[in-house]
Amino acid sequence: MRITTLCFLLLPLVLQSEWIEPPTRTAKGYLVPAPDYVPVFPADHGSHRAYGIEWWYWVGHLKEKEGEREFGFQSTVFRLAGDPVEAAKPADGNFGTRQLYLAHSALSDLGEKTYLHHERVLREGWQAKVSSGDLAIKVAGIEVQMLEDGEGHQVFSRLPEEGMLKLEMHPIKPLVTFGDRGLSRKGGSPAAVSWYWTYPRLEAKGTLRYGGEEIAVQGTAWMDHEISSSQLGENLAGWDWTCVHLDDGTELKAYRLRQKDGKADPWSAVYWIDKAGRATSIYAKDFTWKEEGSWTSPDTGLSYPTSVRIEATHPTRGKLVYRIRPLIDNQEFRGNGRGNDYWEGACEAIDGNGKKIGNAYLELAGYGGSLGARLN
Amino acid sequence: MTFRHWKAKLGHYLLLVGIVAVGVGAFNGIRQASRSASANFGLFNQAVSGRSDFLIESPTQRFGPEQLSSLGRLASDPDWHLVPVIEGSVTSLDASGQPASQLRLIGLDLLALANLPSILEDPIEFAEEESTWHEWLGSAQDVWIGRGAADKLGVEEGDSVSILASGRIMEVSVRKVLEDDDSNLGDDLVLGDLPTIQALLSRPGEVNRVEVVLARTDMREDRGYLEQIRDRLSGDLPTGMRLSPTENRAADRAAMTAAFRLNLTILSLIAILVGAYLILQALDAAVVRKRTEIATLRSLGVNGRIIFFICILEAGVIGVLGSLSGIGVGYLLALGSVGMLADTVNALYFATSMEALSLTWTDCLVGLGIGIFFSLLAGWLPARDAMSTPPAQVLSKGDWSPGFDWLRNPKTGILLLLFGALALLPPPFMMEGGSKMPVGGFLAAGAWILGAALLSGQMLVLLAGWLRPFCQGPVSRLACSRLRDGSSRHRLAVAGLVVAVGMVTGMFQMVDSFRGTIREWFDVRFQAELYISERGVTGAGNINGIDPLLMDELLEDPAIEYADVMYLCHARPKVGITLLAGVDMDAWSSRIRQIWLKQPGSLTPVEGSEPALVSETFARRFEVLEGGTVELDTPNGKKLISPVGIFTDYGNEFGTAAVSIDSWKKWTGSDRPINVSLYLKEGVNTNETRDRLRLAFPGLEVRNAKELREVALGIFEQTFQATTALNAIGLCVAFAGLLLGLLSIFDESVRTWTTLRHLGFSNRQFILSAGLEGAGIALAALVCGALAGLAMGWLLIFVINVQSFGWTLLWQIPLFDFLRFGALLLLVGFVSGCASAFYWNLKNR
Repeated sequence: MRITTLCFLLLPLVLQSEWIEPPTRTAKGYLVPAPDYVPVFPADHGSHRAYGIEWWYWVGHLKEKEGEREFGFQSTVFRLAGDPVEAAKPADGNFGTRQLYLAHSALSDLGEKTYLHHERVLREGWQAKVSSGDLAIKVAGIEVQMLEDGEGHQVFSRLPEEGMLKLEMHPIKPLVTFGDRGLSRKGGSPAAVSWYWTYPRLEAKGTLRYGGEEIAVQGTAWMDHEISSSQLGENLAGWDWTCVHLDDGTELKAYRLRQKDGKADPWSAVYWIDKAGRATSIYAKDFTWKEEGSWTSPDTGLSYPTSVRIEATHPTRGKLVYRIRPLIDNQEFRGNGRGNDYWEGACEAIDGNGKKIGNAYLELAGYGGSLGARLN
Repeated sequence: MTFRHWKAKLGHYLLLVGIVAVGVGAFNGIRQASRSASANFGLFNQAVSGRSDFLIESPTQRFGPEQLSSLGRLASDPDWHLVPVIEGSVTSLDASGQPASQLRLIGLDLLALANLPSILEDPIEFAEEESTWHEWLGSAQDVWIGRGAADKLGVEEGDSVSILASGRIMEVSVRKVLEDDDSNLGDDLVLGDLPTIQALLSRPGEVNRVEVVLARTDMREDRGYLEQIRDRLSGDLPTGMRLSPTENRAADRAAMTAAFRLNLTILSLIAILVGAYLILQALDAAVVRKRTEIATLRSLGVNGRIIFFICILEAGVIGVLGSLSGIGVGYLLALGSVGMLADTVNALYFATSMEALSLTWTDCLVGLGIGIFFSLLAGWLPARDAMSTPPAQVLSKGDWSPGFDWLRNPKTGILLLLFGALALLPPPFMMEGGSKMPVGGFLAAGAWILGAALLSGQMLVLLAGWLRPFCQGPVSRLACSRLRDGSSRHRLAVAGLVVAVGMVTGMFQMVDSFRGTIREWFDVRFQAELYISERGVTGAGNINGIDPLLMDELLEDPAIEYADVMYLCHARPKVGITLLAGVDMDAWSSRIRQIWLKQPGSLTPVEGSEPALVSETFARRFEVLEGGTVELDTPNGKKLISPVGIFTDYGNEFGTAAVSIDSWKKWTGSDRPINVSLYLKEGVNTNETRDRLRLAFPGLEVRNAKELREVALGIFEQTFQATTALNAIGLCVAFAGLLLGLLSIFDESVRTWTTLRHLGFSNRQFILSAGLEGAGIALAALVCGALAGLAMGWLLIFVINVQSFGWTLLWQIPLFDFLRFGALLLLVGFVSGCASAFYWNLKNR
């Protein structure tokens, strides 16, 4: 019995390679997400000020309610903590020094093949306020708040040229927690772990104001909320990440953590989420991420591998092939600062035979310089 | 023919070119210096983050945290960036703790600057790129300064600088010296993160304005797009805030000094007029000298038009050469006077730093245009004379100058005097920003001075007639009879001098009246024993203020019987800007003496409005001399004030309205006093108290009444530095003009002198007679010029100053200065007469 119990407890470790105990704090002094943490909502939808890095991320595909036009969208709010001793304290005025926020909004017009995007970097206070008690965000043009039903939430994003996207989102599946013992590992460094919570399929409905028109839209969205203090291991150059809403009602999430030598980090992973919201994962040794095509930005000169072939061995279903194809080439998000450019865009997912099997969003980060040092 | 003369009289022609150069230089120099002193706004933006496109301002030019929050919705629009700015003046201290130089603190959200579109090819790097964002911001004392400021202060990165800010001594640390090759940052600019500067100025949470920078830099010149953005911004602007294009801020400030600068420009134009007169005289002299040659040429059949063309060409060449030199002279003059002018502007209006002096193509063209125009104008009459010279007549008779015959006719002069009087009837011209331009006053000044000049010939003849009975001996009789003949050239010499005398004596009166009025005002203004303000801050327009906690601490001093605390901020009427003060209304109406234009209580306040004591400038500007209401925009909404009394105040030209301290605080949301006047208890030693307070509050300026009076008078003396320079120019011009005029007269009188010499007239007698002739011309010019000057003084004090500044000055005629100037002018006349006769004698021996 004791042996059986021990085997049961060790099984996940054996399956998911070795367990590395994270430290309580990073070398800089920020708290490190602890294992076995059971999030409490709605409080954990809010900000975790004592942790170094945090983001709230929404992407999705939208379709005109009474028409054929299709759009992709992204709304992301990043938080970077200030001095570790001070960061956890409440906001200090209109131009505080305890937290820094970044707001990224983008819209892809899949028919017109155009891409609008916008970034703001703001310190906590005047234009950046994020609640620690629930999902209530107001950072530059992005405003998020819980809906009265306590389940859904509203995301409002301002876009350039008087544009605006206002969506009400309702989870179709429950929130998924990724990783072992509640920790998603992002490299060999003990502190490179995060709490990674996702609504993999949200029903999105709302209004898009774009090109002087008010367009009723609906579609499917994905939301991530990730908290860490050392997001990437130091030897990592960046990551390639995708989420796929498969037509069969399941989802796929895959990421390749790219080492500086170009190889995939062993902690790169693929997750399948079944119709009930249960996640199954594999790590780098069980999948490949191959580049099938690339696009070079005329603005920054950076080259992004925007066509991807993922071959993964599902624990029960065997080898599966997913190919990701961009719906527009130019979905490069150019930040205001130098070296922060990345590609993030609406894609379609096809199988090995070229048949469309779902909608995807692809993120290609760190092609303009190593992110490891900045997100560490 | 012309250039043969040039070769022979190189020195003479060089002098002519020099005269044009001085005239053009004076005009251009004042123009450039004035521009440099008033257009400094926006430099930091161009240097740090590119220029902004619009400005959001509150009526008091202060935003509290709540007002800033109300802009939150506007701030989140991706099509523009809102950049809050706090600005203030502080004084750096040297090693011995004494105030060294004034610095301009600018606080910006340095992190948000990263959002702004990169306009500069090489943006200024604030710190090493790899540091984390909070390390990059540094400590709460860190500031960034330009290379110019670092060199001026003698500091490098990591060094500390002691400063006086809001009455406290503070330390700042130089985080980084910004290498700024184009010197855009100025040598007084200190940049810091917004919270740092707020703390240094002890104005937590406060900003002065919010600048708007368009996200699409490619559209910033597109008028349609700008209008669309303005509409969108205005649509969401919270009540009480005002949106304007960035240039308007500069325009506002420029409007404040517009009248002042206009005065200077007009005066510089007078300098040019006098210069033109000199050219006219000189060219006329040249024609007189060449008359024999011209007559010979004419008798040989040369067309009059060719002679005219030659003379005009000569004037044109002098104009071109003189103007080109004048452009250079103007730049040099501006270099010399720019600091002087800045001091004047600083003293009267607001602390400002100088923009690099620049010479633009427009300056060159304006200088060239003015110089050539006036040279041609001056050359026209002599040229016409030369053209119509009848050979036989000229060869037989010396004095022939029909071109100046109009000087003998008093009609034009009388008409000009009448025109001047009529020009005063229309109201002044309203300028942008609410100030007024006394167009009629300036026209009247010009017309009267010209009228007086034209009539001065009559005065010369009249005076000579009156003096004749007193003349004994041949020398004085000769001089008197020549003056009584009143040749056109004599009249021309007097007329030119009249302009210079009128200008100088008019200035005398204005300066003296100003000084006298200010002295009387200071007697009232500084009636308390001690005056306390922020240390190191000069200039009537500086309203940074004292930390209220420090003020509370100060007022606990047991030696104080009564403290007259004053609060001050900018307020926005419908047009332009004015000052809103918070004072102890009861004390101001009773125990504190004022020079009242209307005693408190003599005006009935309009029901529903706030009773206010207003300055004369305010009352005139808003036309409430007989009571009424003025609406002011305050952070607490629009407020109506109604005057109950009007006091005289020469502190600023945009007017002051004083309301009760409670209302002021409520309206402005601020509690920062600007200064306090302390009335000490009986028996308390003023100087001991002053010394004690100075020790206890090293960041505050504690002065007794006498000291302050001296400082304040010093500031006002600075104000008139520019006019002193113009007076000097006037005197020099008078001397040179008289010299040239007399030489020309003697040239014309060859026959008379030859006859007299044959009759036994000695050289000494000739020189003496010429001296008396010169003195006679000077006397006539003095009488006419002084009368014109009195009229000018009256115009300056009762029309131009009242309309430009809203000030009534006590008209003071500085008799001693007049007499001294008169004596000097007579001496100059005599000496120039003697000198020219001596020179003429040498030449014609």
